[in-house]
Amino acid sequence: MSTSPRQRPSLDVVLAGAAVVGLVVIVVAVLLSQAGKTLYPPAAATDSAIEIRKLYDIVFAFAVAIFLLVEGLIVWSVIRYRRKPTDTELPVQTHGHNLLEVTWTVIPTIIVIILFVFSFNTLNVVDAVSPTPDVKIRAVAAQFQWTFEYLDSSGQKLFTQTVSTKDNGGGMAVPVGRKIQVELHSNDVIHAFYVPRFLFKRDVVPGMTNRFDFTVNADEAGQTFRGQCAELCGTGHRIMLLDVVAMTQADYDAWVEQMIAQANATPAPQPSGEPSVTLELTAKIAEFDKHELEAPADKPFAITLDNQDVPAIEHDVDIHDADGNVVFDEPHTVGGTSQTYLYGPLPAGTYTFICSVHPFPAMTGTLTVK
Amino acid sequence: MATHALTPAVTAGYRGGLYEWLTTTDHKRIGILYVINSFAFFFIAGLMALAVRAELAQPGLQLLTDEHLYNQLFTMHATLMIFLFIIPMLAGLGNFAVPLQIGAPDMAFPRINALSFWMLPLAGVLLLAGFVTGGAAAAGWTSYPPLTEDRPLASTGSGQDLWIVGVVLIGTSSILGAINFLVTIFKMRAPGMTLFRMPIMVWTMLVTSVLVMLATPVITSALIMLFIDRNLGGNFFDPATGGNAVLYQNVFWFYSHPAVYVMVLPAMGIISEVLPVFSRKPLFGYKAFVFATAGIGALGFSVWAHHMFTTGAVFLPFFALITFMISVPTGVKMFNWVATLWGGQLTFSTPLIFAIGFLTMFLIGGINGAFSAAVPVDFALHDTYWVVAHLHYVLFGGSVFGVFAGVYYWFPKMTGRLLDEGLGKIHFVLMFVGFNLTFFPMHMLGLAGMPRRIADYASSAGWNDWNLAATIGGFMIGASFVPFLWNVFVSLRNGKVAGDDPWEGNTLEWATSSPPPPYNFDHLPEIRSERPVFDLRHGREAGGSH
Repeated sequence: MSTSPRQRPSLDVVLAGAAVVGLVVIVVAVLLSQAGKTLYPPAAATDSAIEIRKLYDIVFAFAVAIFLLVEGLIVWSVIRYRRKPTDTELPVQTHGHNLLEVTWTVIPTIIVIILFVFSFNTLNVVDAVSPTPDVKIRAVAAQFQWTFEYLDSSGQKLFTQTVSTKDNGGGMAVPVGRKIQVELHSNDVIHAFYVPRFLFKRDVVPGMTNRFDFTVNADEAGQTFRGQCAELCGTGHRIMLLDVVAMTQADYDAWVEQMIAQANATPAPQPSGEPSVTLELTAKIAEFDKHELEAPADKPFAITLDNQDVPAIEHDVDIHDADGNVVFDEPHTVGGTSQTYLYGPLPAGTYTFICSVHPFPAMTGTLTVK
Repeated sequence: MATHALTPAVTAGYRGGLYEWLTTTDHKRIGILYVINSFAFFFIAGLMALAVRAELAQPGLQLLTDEHLYNQLFTMHATLMIFLFIIPMLAGLGNFAVPLQIGAPDMAFPRINALSFWMLPLAGVLLLAGFVTGGAAAAGWTSYPPLTEDRPLASTGSGQDLWIVGVVLIGTSSILGAINFLVTIFKMRAPGMTLFRMPIMVWTMLVTSVLVMLATPVITSALIMLFIDRNLGGNFFDPATGGNAVLYQNVFWFYSHPAVYVMVLPAMGIISEVLPVFSRKPLFGYKAFVFATAGIGALGFSVWAHHMFTTGAVFLPFFALITFMISVPTGVKMFNWVATLWGGQLTFSTPLIFAIGFLTMFLIGGINGAFSAAVPVDFALHDTYWVVAHLHYVLFGGSVFGVFAGVYYWFPKMTGRLLDEGLGKIHFVLMFVGFNLTFFPMHMLGLAGMPRRIADYASSAGWNDWNLAATIGGFMIGASFVPFLWNVFVSLRNGKVAGDDPWEGNTLEWATSSPPPPYNFDHLPEIRSERPVFDLRHGREAGGSH
């Protein structure tokens, strides 16, 4: 029979073997190269993240081994068993092989049980929630912003961090080396608290309270970890950013003291003087009805915001200068109500008015002061 | 039979005008209508994906500055791809192949068969109508409440309601089709066609139909509850009025995870037809393959909550264990396919090339799924682009490559003409390279923390390069359909005449003319094994014993 493997030209075997070796060499080279690093999660910043990373590495090792084995077999077969002009008779009609089939059922079963045991052990560490954490923070997610309520040991609110990112002078500050417990709360839709360098996310589900613990590694003091909402929560989903700011205990204590002092301070007085003009602005379905406003230079003016959305949706009208700096930061107006914001005199120029809760194009406009 | 394929007879099976196509109850014509309809929605949904990829190519909002429209596009991309392309495309190929492969003259209920089909274009129009009634559904194809109950910021207009009605209609069509397949397979097999002589394609359609029949009513109820919540003041899923948001996810995924197998098992069936034919060997481990298919079907009902690991409302160890276990029967199939190639005589016609594309890509889709089965790793990967990579390696690398293997394989049987091999190979190379360029970098994006379903990202996030690569790949995939469509166009006119059995097939459809007559068979060959046409060609002894 011309189909007997021994009588085939050995060139096929050489080619197929070379292709399999080539596959292995390429995969290993990629894994060892700089590009190979992108196949791993970013550096783990917390105790839980380190555990998850260990588990990832185990799964990854099995994945690479299985990929090379099966892909190698496919590459070998495709090159080795091409039909040649001499192949007129049928190849051996193999219908199966019991021992082989039992083997490739049993070995994968053992592998997945091993992987399950590893993940189960890691899960118990990562999911553990301490009754006595060092710091308790309630992260409140709303379309489309995060606020962080710092709680004392009895669950009473100490102060609220309303600015969620460091760029805007905020962020969720935490001391390194301490057990932080985050309690997740949503009043509207489902969100997810996700920080890539924590290798962790947890859904923020209205109607239920999720908690998780983490401890930021001591050598991460001074670092800021960008996170964002990971569960689609509406049009502004992508702008729901947050920063976790890691501090030394001393810096953190000072920060807490300052935040408590701020919370107890009397609010700044409203700009005095009668407004020279009152502008009308309506917000509906998270969109301003006007995107161009004009106000006189060097005189106080006012904007009346009519928020026609449902009560859960808050808006405001902040004013930014041409460089993007916040000139006026106003309180929120809840849905179904209206509020008149008073603004102090502004020099002539072009400004941006923007809803800080929904800073996307539909809720942004140009304020011309002249 | 072989002398029957004279050139003039090539299209004789489908003579007749538009009216006959619109009123047909012939399973072959209905199958072809399914295929055409599915491709139409495939191209619409594909264009939506290209718009999404174009927006993501660079940081900053360039193309889709209306982010609500962006959300509508990715929502409808997934909805159309799942409900109006992959599921009906496979049902259509099954519709064409199953009666032929079991030696039946038609499906058991030809009129119900036509009804199942005609619900699909109607549902498609309803789904798309959202775009002109104030915005299509925009809360993702999963449509999680309470977001879907939140009219101001997610589902303006009636798009979400149209979406619910459209998907319920498609579900009804699927249930009717599933019952039709089950009755056909159990009651209409030709004499000698015992269960264990059925082609694997028929087995996978059988298990798929069981999944559809048991799971689809569950999502239908979830969607009706959502509709009541939205329109009649119900409070099933909105915690603000005493509902439970996670309840929807449980009910939704109870269908939608088995739906993954609905989208993959028939593609596995196609591969299991193509690999033996083009390697001139029987499928290795036929019975193991049948049991693995049934095993996947059974376990497939116990893994739904692995889509919900991060909700904090799932009994994690159970669902993690079953999710790991379901990879075992899938692995068995992979080894069976490779063993089928092993020692064979491989002819690299386009169907085999797409089948091997399926093997290599579905392998990656299986392996990267294991990462999410390890629950703590899923905490890192869930809802990031890693998941987008995973699901596309399964549903595109798996199902869609399988679909094209099937289209190239059965096109000559459907039309009497062969597709051009050269254009077919250009199609494959463009699609294969484009596919990997699009979806492999998404693993890296997900690991680097890029969430799904965002229209924009900061240029400082470090996601720029891989996003650009993915966009280039996406347009390459888009370009790959130019040679495909051209191929269909020219081959229908001037393609090589196929004859009854251009591939030296194994199964009964190759024992009749191409295209087959309305009643399918003048006479059937003896059925003594799972390869009756092979036995006819080479003699029963040549087939070897089990």
